Parts: sequence; structure tokens; C-alpha cells
Amino acid sequence: MPELRLEAVTHPVLGPLDLTVADGEAVAVLGPSGAGKSTLLKIIAGLLPYQGRLTFDGVSMAGVPAYRRNIGYLSQDLHLFPHLSVENNIRLALLFDRTSVGQRRERTRQILNLCAIAHRAQRRPQTLSGGERQRAALARALARHPRLLLLDEPFSRLDRSTKQILWTELGTLRRHLGLTALIVTHDAEEAVTLADRVIILQAGLLLPAAATPPWDT
Amino acid sequence: MSGLLLLAGGCLIAITVTVLGALLALASHLPLDALWLALQQQETVFALRLSLYTSLLALALALLFGTLAGYLLARRSFPGQALIETLLDLPMVTPPLVAGMGLLFLLGRDAPVGSAMAAAGWHLLFSPAGVILAQTYVATPLIVRSARAAFQAVDPDYAAVAGTLGLTPLWAFLLVEIPMAGRGLLSAAVLGWARALGEFGATLMVAGATRLHTETLPMAVFLNIASGETEVAIACALILLSMAFALLLVIRLLAGGKSAGQGQFQHA
Repeated sequence: MPELRLEAVTHPVLGPLDLTVADGEAVAVLGPSGAGKSTLLKIIAGLLPYQGRLTFDGVSMAGVPAYRRNIGYLSQDLHLFPHLSVENNIRLALLFDRTSVGQRRERTRQILNLCAIAHRAQRRPQTLSGGERQRAALARALARHPRLLLLDEPFSRLDRSTKQILWTELGTLRRHLGLTALIVTHDAEEAVTLADRVIILQAGLLLPAAATPPWDT
Repeated sequence: MSGLLLLAGGCLIAITVTVLGALLALASHLPLDALWLALQQQETVFALRLSLYTSLLALALALLFGTLAGYLLARRSFPGQALIETLLDLPMVTPPLVAGMGLLFLLGRDAPVGSAMAAAGWHLLFSPAGVILAQTYVATPLIVRSARAAFQAVDPDYAAVAGTLGLTPLWAFLLVEIPMAGRGLLSAAVLGWARALGEFGATLMVAGATRLHTETLPMAVFLNIASGETEVAIACALILLSMAFALLLVIRLLAGGKSAGQGQFQHA
């Protein structure tokens, strides 16, 4: 059964959209600025209203607020909370987990190690490098075992070498955790590297996949 | 240009000398032993205690109402917002005596609100509760304004991201937005407390000037100057000055750092 399904989803800048993402699949949404890519992720995350039908495992998400969807969302600006250390950013995500304090502590340690950011656990986000912030935000987004990971231009602000390292790390992590992911990007190489399938969004509408997107020629 | 700087320097010196002169005149008016005695007077101690007690309660109320109202004004636009914001700013520019008179007429026994409160057994006028009401009234608009600015400086997307991490809007507000607006809110609290401590005009109208009953520090200065007992008046004035100086220093120190959520991300 498909993990995520959008049927005739519309928003003032988007759609109607039909999209299915299978369990464990990584789909990249490729498109130019202003195509509605971020809007699409925010709709799925529960941060924007929409019309149409959006389901997870056949269950409608209509009226389900963001805090009940258990979707990992990595925004373009990361939005790590600057008043908390990296570790506490993750602990905040686990605050309402129905697990014991010990289990939450163990999960925090585990995810810090998995995302290779344990050595910066006590640091505030604003003191980290770009790549470290990315790892910290990814660790926080994954902390609650999300059923879907949404990545909004995750590495657009990093230099090429850091970006390539993180592409490899994310790929390994995704395979290791069997994550279902929707990745928004305007970088065709990133889309092809990170995803199993690439779809193209232009002016709010999905186009059939093309080898060379029109804006890259 | 140097002529202009010279003129500006002269103005700065004139202002500083005037402020300092007034302070020194006040501080040197009483010999130290007389000042020490005045500070120990029952009336001074009562005024200090009442001022602390009422102003802290007023601050708590003003923070509760002001923070929530400021948050709403920062996050939402609604019809009539400009009118409401102008109304909220009004107590800041109205003479406190006028504001106090309005409150007096609103809460008087002849007014519907006042008679309803009297029927419920609430007697705010001419009591310490009236002092708290007057102080809250003058401190709240300051806190609303500062809280609105503090929340506007925090990107609302932080709360949205907190939502995707399982935090309800209330928890996101308490654990993310309030701490991120913390420095601004703390400045607002200090400013509001300073305003409440120094409140006189509205308190005079709403709570009256009764010795050892509604006698806050400013009221003690007024009553004792009026009756020619300058020792207690000077002691209370010096306490007010010291507290105001300390609070202004705190505000200055708080303003020294950057607001949370502003410009700390420098992407590699």
C-alpha cells in the first residue's frame, strides 16, 4: 500500500496535483524557484491549508494538525532553536514521546551518533559550521522515527564539497533506516543523486519527468 | 562640522549637569545619619514594602495580558487593528491623572462596572488593590508594545517547525517563541516594572493618598513634601532613584546583546 498519496490537491499557487510516494521510496521534486515546491512540502507537513485529498496509508490527513502527523521536516533555513544546544534541540522533539526519560536519553545519543554530530551535542546551533547545522537539523527531524521525511532544498546553502559528503551520508542513512522521503530541490544533480525517482514541478503543476529540465538548458 | 559638534557637546554637558545637579541636590539635602534614620521610619518601610508588593503584582498582571496581546498583534492582522493599537498606546501619552480619572469614573459606585463589582464584594477604589489596578493600567501598554516588537523579531517558521516536532501551538509558544523573544520580553518586564514603581497620578485618583494604607513610594514623597516632612520624602525619593537607576542599567545591559533569532545564521 502506498505510504503517501495526494489526489487533486490544490492551493492558490499549486495544483491540482496527483502524487504517490511508495513506502521506503525517495522522490525528488525538481523545479525552478517559485514553482511551488516548498508549498507542496508545507501542505504535506500540515503547515498550510489545501483542498483535495491527502492520505498516509489510506488515512486522510484532513484536519490532522502538524504536531500529530509525525513527519520529519527539514526547512531550507533549518530553524534550529538558537536558545538550545544541539542535544536539547533533539530532546525537545522527543519531549512528548510516550517513552521513559532513559529511553529518550538513549534515543538522543543514538541519533546524535547516527548523524555524526555527537561531538557538537553541547554546542548552540549558531556556533556550528553549515554542514554541522545540517546534520543537527537532520538528527532532530529524524529523532521521532518519522514515517516520512520532507527535505526542502536541504543543502542549497552549502559549498559543493560539503554538499557531496552530505549527499552520501543522507543516502546511507536513508537506506539504513528505510526512510520514505520527499526531497525538494532545484539542483538536478542533487535530485538524481538522492532520489529513486525525480518528478518535475513547474508553475504549480507536475510535468512528466524529462532528462534535462527546461530551465537547465 | 566641528562647530556643530561643539554645540552638540555643549548641549550634552548642559543636560548631564542638570540631571546630575538635581540628583546631588537631593542626595546632599540630608546628612547621612538623618537619611539613615528616615530610611528606618515606619512610613518609609511601609511605602517601600507596598510599592514592591503592588508593583510586582501589577507587573505579573501586565506581563500576562501584555505578552499575550503583544503576541496576537505580532502574529495576526485583523480588521480594526490600527484602531486597537492606537487605543492601547493611549495610556502611554495620556497624563496619568486623566487615566486615573477615567478609571475612577469607570469603577465608581454610580457606574455599571463599579456597582457590579461592589455587588460582588470587590472594592478596588481607595485600597491597595486600586494601587495595583492603576499600576497595571500604566504598565500594560508598555509591555504590549515591547512584546509585540519582541515577537515580531522571531521568525514564525520556528513555531511551525516546532509543530512538525510534535509540539502543540501552546508548547511551541512556551518552549520556543517565548525563549526566543526572551531578551525583548525581559526588557519589557523591567521597563513595565519601572513604570509601575514610579506610578503616581493614576494611583492618586484610583487609590487615594492615605498614609500607611495606599502610601506607595511616590505617594510618600508627595504626602511628606506636602506636610513639610522632608526627611521621609527625600529617603523615599532616593530609594525610587536608586531602583530606577538599577532598572535602567539592566535594560541597557539587556539591549547590549542581539535579539534571538536575528542574524545568527551564516550559512557555509
